[in-house]
Amino acid sequence: MIQLKEISFSYNDKPLIRGLNLQFEVGKLTCLLGSSGCGKSTILRLIAGLEVPSTGAVYIDNKLVAKDRKNITMVSKRSIGFIFQELALWPHMTAYQNVAFGLQEQKKTDVKEKVLEILAFFGLSEYIDNYPNEMSGGQKQLLAIARSLVLQPKVLLMDEPLSNLDVKLKHKILGYIKKLKNEFDLTIVYVTHDHKEAFAIADQVVLMNEGRVIEQGTTEEIVGSANEFVKEFIEY
Amino acid sequence: MRMLKIVIIIISAIFLSNCTDSTEVVVVYTSVDQVFSEPILKDFEQETGIKVKAVYDAEETKSTGVLNRLIAEKDNPQCDVFWSGDPVRTIILQNKGITAAYHSPIADGISEVYRDKDYHWIGFSARARVLLYNKKLIDESEVPQGIFDLTNDKYRGRFGIANPLFGTTTFHMAALFTVLGDEKAKQLLDSLQLNGLVIATSNGDIKRRVLSGEIACGLTDTDDAFEALKESDNVDLVFLDQKGIGSLIIPNTVNMINGSRNVDNAKVLIDYLLSKQTEAKLAKSCAQMPLHKGVKLPEGVFSLDHIVPMKVDYRKTAKKLEEIQDYLKRWSEN
Amino acid sequence: MVRKLVHNELFIIGFAAFFIFAVLPVIYTISITFFNFQSVWANLQELNISTFLLLLKSILLSAFVAFLATTIGSVLAFVLYKTTIRYSSFFKILLLLPLFISPYILAVAWKEGFFLMFGSTLVLASYWGVIIVFISIYTPLSMLIVGNALVNISSEIEDSALLMTSKRHVVLKIVIPLIKPALITSFILIFIFSISEFSVPSYFAVKVFTTEIFTQFSAFYNYSLAILQSVLLVLLCLFLLFAERKYIANAPFLAIGNKGVVFKLYTIEKQKVLLYSILVLWLFVSIFLPLTILVAQSFSGGAMYLVQAINLIKPTILNSFFLAFVSSIIVVFIGFTAAYYNSEHHLIKLAKYFDLLLLFIFAIPSIIFGISLIFFYNQAALSMIYTSYAILIIAFVGKFSFIASKLISNSLKQIPVSLDEAAQIQSIGFYKRLQMLILPLLLPAFFASFVISFIFIVGELGLSIMIYPPGAEIMSVKVYTIMANAPHGLSSAMSLIVFLITLGIIPFFYLLVRPMLNKYHLSK
Repeated sequence: MIQLKEISFSYNDKPLIRGLNLQFEVGKLTCLLGSSGCGKSTILRLIAGLEVPSTGAVYIDNKLVAKDRKNITMVSKRSIGFIFQELALWPHMTAYQNVAFGLQEQKKTDVKEKVLEILAFFGLSEYIDNYPNEMSGGQKQLLAIARSLVLQPKVLLMDEPLSNLDVKLKHKILGYIKKLKNEFDLTIVYVTHDHKEAFAIADQVVLMNEGRVIEQGTTEEIVGSANEFVKEFIEY
Repeated sequence: MRMLKIVIIIISAIFLSNCTDSTEVVVVYTSVDQVFSEPILKDFEQETGIKVKAVYDAEETKSTGVLNRLIAEKDNPQCDVFWSGDPVRTIILQNKGITAAYHSPIADGISEVYRDKDYHWIGFSARARVLLYNKKLIDESEVPQGIFDLTNDKYRGRFGIANPLFGTTTFHMAALFTVLGDEKAKQLLDSLQLNGLVIATSNGDIKRRVLSGEIACGLTDTDDAFEALKESDNVDLVFLDQKGIGSLIIPNTVNMINGSRNVDNAKVLIDYLLSKQTEAKLAKSCAQMPLHKGVKLPEGVFSLDHIVPMKVDYRKTAKKLEEIQDYLKRWSEN
Repeated sequence: MVRKLVHNELFIIGFAAFFIFAVLPVIYTISITFFNFQSVWANLQELNISTFLLLLKSILLSAFVAFLATTIGSVLAFVLYKTTIRYSSFFKILLLLPLFISPYILAVAWKEGFFLMFGSTLVLASYWGVIIVFISIYTPLSMLIVGNALVNISSEIEDSALLMTSKRHVVLKIVIPLIKPALITSFILIFIFSISEFSVPSYFAVKVFTTEIFTQFSAFYNYSLAILQSVLLVLLCLFLLFAERKYIANAPFLAIGNKGVVFKLYTIEKQKVLLYSILVLWLFVSIFLPLTILVAQSFSGGAMYLVQAINLIKPTILNSFFLAFVSSIIVVFIGFTAAYYNSEHHLIKLAKYFDLLLLFIFAIPSIIFGISLIFFYNQAALSMIYTSYAILIIAFVGKFSFIASKLISNSLKQIPVSLDEAAQIQSIGFYKRLQMLILPLLLPAFFASFVISFIFIVGELGLSIMIYPPGAEIMSVKVYTIMANAPHGLSSAMSLIVFLITLGIIPFFYLLVRPMLNKYHLSK
């Protein structure tokens, strides 16, 4: 379980998040929904340890990992997978190298087997020697996911990963993600501004605005909400 | 449209940049330091109304700029008059057919030792090679009096000369070779080297190093030495070998360029430079010794009457210079 | 109908102008030399083992300088561009100051300073002197190039590695490989700068390849040997450029980052003291020390030297700045043409060779380029050029366009091709795309190239002194020729004033372009 307690966060002296409390359940896919700039990406970065809260605490599996401007557990020790909006594939490494890098750095055994296995799982076997810019959008997407999952994280954070894809691919990958969650027993936090996307996959939806949680619950609960902001948001 | 106008204005500014409306113009290239040559040329402009366009050079660049430029421009000369700080450069030009003869009436007052027999160049105001020393580092009684004294162990590693491949230093070396003969000169250079001679980049650099006390003494020209005397009371100079081979005298020289476009103005400038008036000014500004008799000297400036000159034929010395350059290069790089 | 995506007119103008005005004179001079078989044969025999040993020595020296300057420059760039260190903009500007001082003046200041501190300049009057002066001048250049590459790495790329491994490994395995092209560019530029620089080794009486060329040229008047030796030097530089190209062509990942990426800043806590000490130490050595010496000497005669220096320099300011201004604008144009068409060289075959030509002129020693210009332009028909400022402009544009093309092409690589393609799809014409997309996005690079060229041109000496029209007042030439026999105080005062007015005019240029930068939201 991931817990955020009384989190505040400022960027360049501008407060982005104020007194936020949130919980993400193990083995569930939670969607953080909201318009851009509402602080949802920042929450992912706080969980990953790429940012530290100005005040407040972050717990992963009931373990305190960050508190009041201090990272207690290093980013690389949190065993978290992160899919960035721009994917952030390392442009100077091949598909194989992109996936293998983390395994090698963490001194894992059987690197080659693991890499080939996961690339095969995502149907990327024939692209192992290609550089990212020699691959299509969907392939890059899958490669980014493979790169995160090969390290067997307990938590997968996804920051609008599908924003650049066409509808058909989007559905295919959404299907994958659902499958993944069950197969790897993952806790997934998925950030998006598209409520349809969120409703299609989420076990739990958190609607945010200006650094605050407006409403949270299952898809049905959100759809049925009486809150004016929620109603307006899902109208589009 | 406005843009176009601006561009046209700029382009015409570039091309017209160096045109002068008056036809009364003379182009002079000089290897004499600008601090000293410019005031003389400005006075000339004022007195004659002829516009002077000058290209200056510095001793520190070893006068490559001006000399190489004159050589490169040979087929289409831009320059009318070359005012050189020493005869060697002029003789190089003469050998390449770049100089033209002009028998200035003023030249008759100058000893024929200091001019070309065909008037391809004429000398005026002279410098001499001297030893500049730092009084704090050398006792008055210990000051070397001749160039051979520098081979003495007590000066080991404490004296210097400028790069012998360039400027007046090469000329000095060539003069030593003509006066002493090749063998004796080579022996001298080798013993100087064994005695830890320091090679500086230029005469100005020798001056700087003696002033700062980095070396105790060094060979340089009178003008540099006088500058040093002005800057500090801790240094003094001595004319070497006054009881022996004498000190090398280096006159300024001036010559007309073959193919000059402003011959008449060039002649006026040459006459002006050779005049007693100019010699007096140069004596005042940089302690150069007049070649004319009877020029009034400022205090502290030496007169050629009281110096034993090294007896050299400038033409032969220039020829010697070409012969020994390879040797000097090897010697200085050792 | 096939619609041409790129128009050739601009390329033809830029390429032809550069070729005819700057390259042709050099080819003309070299061929005169080579057609004189007898002298070539005699001189080829002069190119013996010791020539090559000397060349090797120069290569080692320059490689050492380039390596150290790039290393220090990268460290400084990392500290200033990639950490949350405070006052980084202030430090960045301060660290760039050595670029404004001409190498020769810096060498003088260093030597005097060394003498004041240690009572001897023996250590400095050796390879070490050359190395120290070169490193202090060229490190800022490296810092600029590397810093620019660092801020163009999207933060996500580093973040995704940070999830897996330590900061140290992220820097080693992700950041450094990604900025490798910038590191190589920095290395090669500095290498070429230091192997072709003459005044500093000459001042410290260190024999290197350029001083040897100079000696052949000015003590022996052996032009053909000097030119032959220069050709060796140029071949070496061209080989390096090929190597660089080969490497970059083999790296299919070069299109890193986009304009306006969010880049990652590392927080510094524990290392704060260390980083500040590095910065302060470097500032002290590269700026504070030489400047203090200049200032101290300028005031050694009260205000007298300063007043004298101002009077001497005054008549040169307008000339030199006008020349530098016009030349720098042309430099930016040529640099852009070379960089842009080179990136589109599949359309114009010739474009590939444009920056080789730029390098050719950049790498050839100033003396040889200068003499070539004299040989070529000093003819009755061309005297309009030879006797006016045009000759200096040609020389400056020849010399400095290479740097501009490097800077602009680096910047061009960071503009995603998709931007231009998106506009092509909508049938927007070439010049419109250039005007609305490429040029505005390149504006900061144009400005940087302009300023750097301007500074270099104002300080340029080797070429100017050889070809300046009789009677013209040129700042760098005057400082140099006056300095020869002036007291220390006066020469320091002149250096100081040149430094201050060059520094002073840069903000003025910034004010001129700021409206444009603001218009395109590029000012920050």
